[in-house]
Amino acid sequence: MDQETSASPAMTFSLLASSAPVLAPRVGKLAIPGRKTIATPHHVPLTSRGTVPHVAHDVMRDHTEINSLYAGLEDFIAKKNAPVYKTPAADHESPLKKFICVAEDMPLILGPRRFPPIPCPPANTSTSIALLTSVGFTQLSAPEYVKAVQKLRPDIAVGMVDLANKQPGSKRRGKMVDRTHAWTRDALEQLYGDSVAEKDKSKSAYFAPVLPLDNAQQTLYLDDLESEFRWDISGLALYQSASLGFVPESLANLPRLLFSEPETPHTILRDISLGADLLTTPLLGASSDSGIAMEFAFPAPAALEEGKSKPRPLGVDLWAGDHATDTSPLGEGCECYTCKNYHRAYIHHLLLAKEMTAWALLQVHNFHVMDTFFAGVRESIQRESFEQDVETFARVYASSMVESSGEGPRLRGYQLPANGPNQPRRMPKVYGALEDVIQKFAESQSEIATPDTDASGLVEHGFAEKL
Amino acid sequence: MSTAAPARKSMPSALTFDRHAKCSTTKARASTLHLPHGSVPLPIFMPVATQASLKGLTYDQLRETGCMLCLNNTYHLGLKPGQAVLDAVGGAHKLQGWDRNLLTDSGGFQMVSLLQLATVTEEGVRFLSPHDGSPMLLTPEHSISLQNSIGSDIIMQLDDVIATTSPDHARIKEAMDRSVRWLDRCIEEHKYPERQNLFCIIQGGLDLELRKQCCEEMVARDTPGIAIGGLSGGEAKEEFCKVVNTCTDILPEHKPRYVMGVGYPEDIVVAVALGADMFDCVWPTRTARFGDAIVSSGTLKLSHKSFADDFGPVEEGCTCTCCRPTDQGGLGLTRAYMHHITAKETVGAHLLTIHNVHYMLTLMGKIRQAILDDQYPAFLRKFFSDIYGGDKSKFPEWAIGALQGVGMDLLADS
Repeated sequence: MDQETSASPAMTFSLLASSAPVLAPRVGKLAIPGRKTIATPHHVPLTSRGTVPHVAHDVMRDHTEINSLYAGLEDFIAKKNAPVYKTPAADHESPLKKFICVAEDMPLILGPRRFPPIPCPPANTSTSIALLTSVGFTQLSAPEYVKAVQKLRPDIAVGMVDLANKQPGSKRRGKMVDRTHAWTRDALEQLYGDSVAEKDKSKSAYFAPVLPLDNAQQTLYLDDLESEFRWDISGLALYQSASLGFVPESLANLPRLLFSEPETPHTILRDISLGADLLTTPLLGASSDSGIAMEFAFPAPAALEEGKSKPRPLGVDLWAGDHATDTSPLGEGCECYTCKNYHRAYIHHLLLAKEMTAWALLQVHNFHVMDTFFAGVRESIQRESFEQDVETFARVYASSMVESSGEGPRLRGYQLPANGPNQPRRMPKVYGALEDVIQKFAESQSEIATPDTDASGLVEHGFAEKL
Repeated sequence: MSTAAPARKSMPSALTFDRHAKCSTTKARASTLHLPHGSVPLPIFMPVATQASLKGLTYDQLRETGCMLCLNNTYHLGLKPGQAVLDAVGGAHKLQGWDRNLLTDSGGFQMVSLLQLATVTEEGVRFLSPHDGSPMLLTPEHSISLQNSIGSDIIMQLDDVIATTSPDHARIKEAMDRSVRWLDRCIEEHKYPERQNLFCIIQGGLDLELRKQCCEEMVARDTPGIAIGGLSGGEAKEEFCKVVNTCTDILPEHKPRYVMGVGYPEDIVVAVALGADMFDCVWPTRTARFGDAIVSSGTLKLSHKSFADDFGPVEEGCTCTCCRPTDQGGLGLTRAYMHHITAKETVGAHLLTIHNVHYMLTLMGKIRQAILDDQYPAFLRKFFSDIYGGDKSKFPEWAIGALQGVGMDLLADS
């Protein structure tokens, strides 16, 4: 076992193999004293304003295996002197965890922006990046971000990086490298530098960004990561799968957190096979929002492989009408809380009725599927059958996610791209011709459900008869 | 209208009602209602899970609040998922995975309040389909048949609902008489009286004479429980109290009494003193979604900026999952965090819904204990004092008057 301990923070990352290969799948253990251990490869649950969307804190605690969280600073700093900085906490506690009310043993990763980030029209500057808070666009300066890390004490801080909204030209690429290089140097100096008193050195582990650019374009920066910065960084944050191939040999022992938006589990498997340790999987939440119960396992069950007439879908669209009376669980034999207590007909009804419980229950199921998938991946790598299992998986399952036939929850401003000139309306216009009906609705005692069926539908429902 | 229809169908009851104590001053009662899916301590507040789900909560979260009986709306379940699905799935309990009690309304209230051009005839409610405008008819038979398919433990008769504030006395009387006739049709149609309890609904607007007549007619039908309907429609609170007080004077002691649509804490504590046992209202769960927390001093608008850096629990000493500190198995949520997510994340609505439902149920528990200890008048004085910061001059006139009517002086020193 190859153990790697980095300088000041107490985080350790150990790989369960004698070497730490580049461009090969690997199993490891990320341990922070007093926190839950993360077995890698693992997905990183993404939060919005400190919550895993639709998953209330008690549901997360009681019915999911969530063992780490990623939060973006932009979700907390809408105002100057934001409340998050005033959270009372003891020296050994993270004020950010206190603020979002999660247990101290929950590993927490902080980055400047939520993930996936909404592209910001304002440009980054040489000292700051543009971000979107719930009240609009603003700039976060590099020193401000370092102060936030010092104050909020996350377990892992992802370094500030200069990313371009669109394919950068050569001039822009140069700036991206120079800025990120400078920001990383300054951040490390302020967090762990010689000028910082021993007791004030940050306990947060620092993940240095690797730019989504060619190796050659960021050579100087990568060289510094290997030499000058080496003992202050605890991991690498990557922004495209291709970067997994550039990781210098001497940094191979560091955990790699890949910020990407894989569209299918096939893509996740590819990234793992290239050596990603921690992966973001926004497709999980997106599936829940669109009423899809994910259904795939790794390695693909042998039974599925035999009857391989046509590829298995990667999920079930619960908006589809054929689930209306189906009292079977979302996934066959699934052990999650949702599947043990509820059924497809209920989720289908909740989606149609636009009830929030639908998304909560789908999240619980989809987290379980994703957790089980990653557990299968780790076992497969350890059994050294990963490559073969990936091939089988690709044969058994469809190549893209199922399409949803319904709508997701209402999106808030900070979850939406800024309005552009030619962008379609995100939500249909609902007010207008029926003002007086709406007035009545507003005054009525009960919740509203506008029947979306015609008279014969009502008859069919046994609700009333036609005259 | 005939006072006693000949050969009335016998009315079995699927409930037992144990009375434990009666307040020695007011008409408040503490009892236990045994229903097919468990026992419910009365007086009780019932949260409204309109479309077979309580606003984002799992049924384990609802159980955790102590809820033994919640509402579904027949109108909504009739539209989605519809009777055929309910029959195929085996009823609303199976649909939503709730093994405790359910109560459904008749659907008539939504017909009249939500739909334009609904007209009530002797046959039923005529309305235009909200989708394609074709004429439709909802009869007492339809309503009961749907509620039979839903399988709720308590079902309500279809009644002729009109606004209590209506000035048309003849129409109010007609509605009252018709509600009685419709009750007979509901009783006739009801297929499962041995496992679903049909409650009648007393109508009669704000006219106490009509209310008395209606009580007598309906009590003669011997339904397992009795509801007082047509209130909470914007009438003055004095009028509301008079109606409840008049009805409870006549209603038999040995049956549960349900005041429909009533749910502000102040209204509930007074109505309990007037002898009512059961209440429902969407207000606690709706207001939660707007970021309002119910606490003993009233409501807190958590979206207000003054809570942005308030790191105390929503209510100090509250034992709900949200407010309880983590070392007591709770979540230790702060007002600051609720402010941060309220109206922005669905989780904010889930968590405040838990708190508000728990608050209402705890309030009912305290009311019940006070009645059992024969301390209800003292409880009432403290309750109003907490809300109005001890300033008796601010106590509402209607509450003082209503409680005087049952022999209690709210302004006296305990």
